[in-house]
Amino acid sequence: MSFSTKWYYLRETFKSLKRNSLMSIASVSTVALSILVLGLFLTMVLNVNNLAQYLENQVQVTVYMEDSATAVQRRQTEQQLKIMPGVMEVKGVTKEQALANFKKRLREQQKLLDALGEENPFPYSFEIKVDKPERIQQIVPKIEQMPGVETAKFGQEVVEHIFQLTRILRIGGILLIVMLAIATLFIISNTIRLTVFARRREVSIMKYVGATNWFIRWPFLLEGMIMGFVGALVAAVSLFKIYDAVQEKIYATLAFFPLLPSWPFMGYLCAGLVAVGTIIGAAGSGISLRKFLDV
Amino acid sequence: MLIMKHASKIYAGGAKALQDINVHIKPGEFVFLVGPSGAGKSTFIKLISREIELTSGQIFVDGVDVMKLRDDEIPYLRRQLGIVFQDYRLLNDRTAFENVAFAMQVIETPSKKVRERVTEVLNLVGLGDRGDNYPGEMSGGEQQRVAIARAIVNDPLLVIADEPTGNLDPETSMEIMNIFTEINKRGATIIMATHDKTMVDYMRQRVIAIEDGRIVRDEIKGVYGYEL
Ligand SMILES: Nc1ncnc2c1ncn2[C@@H]1O[C@H](COP(=O)(O)OP(=O)(O)OP(=O)(O)O)[C@@H](O)[C@H]1O
Ligand SMILES: [Mg+2]
Repeated sequence: MSFSTKWYYLRETFKSLKRNSLMSIASVSTVALSILVLGLFLTMVLNVNNLAQYLENQVQVTVYMEDSATAVQRRQTEQQLKIMPGVMEVKGVTKEQALANFKKRLREQQKLLDALGEENPFPYSFEIKVDKPERIQQIVPKIEQMPGVETAKFGQEVVEHIFQLTRILRIGGILLIVMLAIATLFIISNTIRLTVFARRREVSIMKYVGATNWFIRWPFLLEGMIMGFVGALVAAVSLFKIYDAVQEKIYATLAFFPLLPSWPFMGYLCAGLVAVGTIIGAAGSGISLRKFLDV
Repeated sequence: MLIMKHASKIYAGGAKALQDINVHIKPGEFVFLVGPSGAGKSTFIKLISREIELTSGQIFVDGVDVMKLRDDEIPYLRRQLGIVFQDYRLLNDRTAFENVAFAMQVIETPSKKVRERVTEVLNLVGLGDRGDNYPGEMSGGEQQRVAIARAIVNDPLLVIADEPTGNLDPETSMEIMNIFTEINKRGATIIMATHDKTMVDYMRQRVIAIEDGRIVRDEIKGVYGYEL
């Protein structure tokens, strides 16, 4: 393809986008909205997945000691825990370590730390790893009977619920994505159809003077791709901003919530979405060209 | 340049537009197609560019069997042809220069060559100084000259014209005809469907008369032959 030809395609494409500016804007907005919903959805699914995995790795029991428990009581409890069936590992966590861990998780949420003041609200605790999740049900009641033990906590049920949730989300998500893709295809192909209609005289003259079919198709295809690309780009940038804002909000209230860090996660997701938008744009105009451009 | 063998065209509606047409037109000829309305002249012209397809028979353009061309080969057939219509078919949002240049751009001619050649053909049709005008700013005769410039800008072997002077007054028609004569002198074969008696009688070129889809007369240095 010569330079003149590429230049010709670009000029024609932008002329056409401008001529149909209202429809072009409508198409770009639809693409942006669809892709944004798709992106929000994927962000949610991936994060819930991540959360479930995080919690599953925490198939451990945390045993919180009463503040009044003495060092001797603590040592006795540790011995008893170690000889319980199925217990693989017992690790003592001092009040100071607990506070330090908390601070590390909060990272730059300085305000929250300030609210703590000088006090250390964390009790002494043991973190117990067990050989299999079912074991937890048996040992937790026993542990809670031990002298000096405040409570024993574990997250297995939550984990199972969350996995169930991801399954539902995934099925619903696929349906939603298919519907959005169809809607987007439809609006792009409709816009291109109007473009072809607006330029039918030009197209017929091109045919009379011997333009090849691909020469005639390219500007229309490019137009669809540009609309898809721009729409998806708008969506990707919005998604990035929304995620950052939500992340900040969540960390401000639920400091422990394990969200996927926005980099590189959002980078990959956004690149993927932009690619999908461009492909949908090309496919949308492809449909119209087959149906309405009889070349 | 153009050969038709037992060529017939029956439209989907059942109209027998052409029946068993046999013609042989040699390179460099200037041929008028005449005949009453509905005789099949436009059909004849459209078959050459494969705008429509034969029902039976064969048609050859410069030795190429037109009906055997694949869809993606048709553009290359059309590059050998220059096509002129009664209604000019210019793009109104482009200047005369751009309208002519368009025909070169869409077959991927480098821009430098486009500029040179468009200037050349606009001069040939006598519009050397009107390149920047839009069709809306030109008379019918001028618009048709732009259309002719567009048809010949890619140096076609064969120029086909369907009533190119149909919308023009006699004087303007004469100017247009002179341009066709000039193009013919430069080597292009010309086939023109027309109702323009004065012009046909004046030109004394080959005349093929069609009635009800059949050739009823084929004369070298012929006349229009119908009363108006
Ligand atoms: N697309 C079409 N579908 C069906 N019938 C058609 C079509 N085009 C032309 N015809 C018929 O074919 C016959 C020949 O038409 P054609 O246009 O070739 O005539 P013509 O000689 O060019 O007439 P005119 O001098 O009025 O332009 C006519 O009977 C016409 O009604
Ligand atoms: Mg006709």
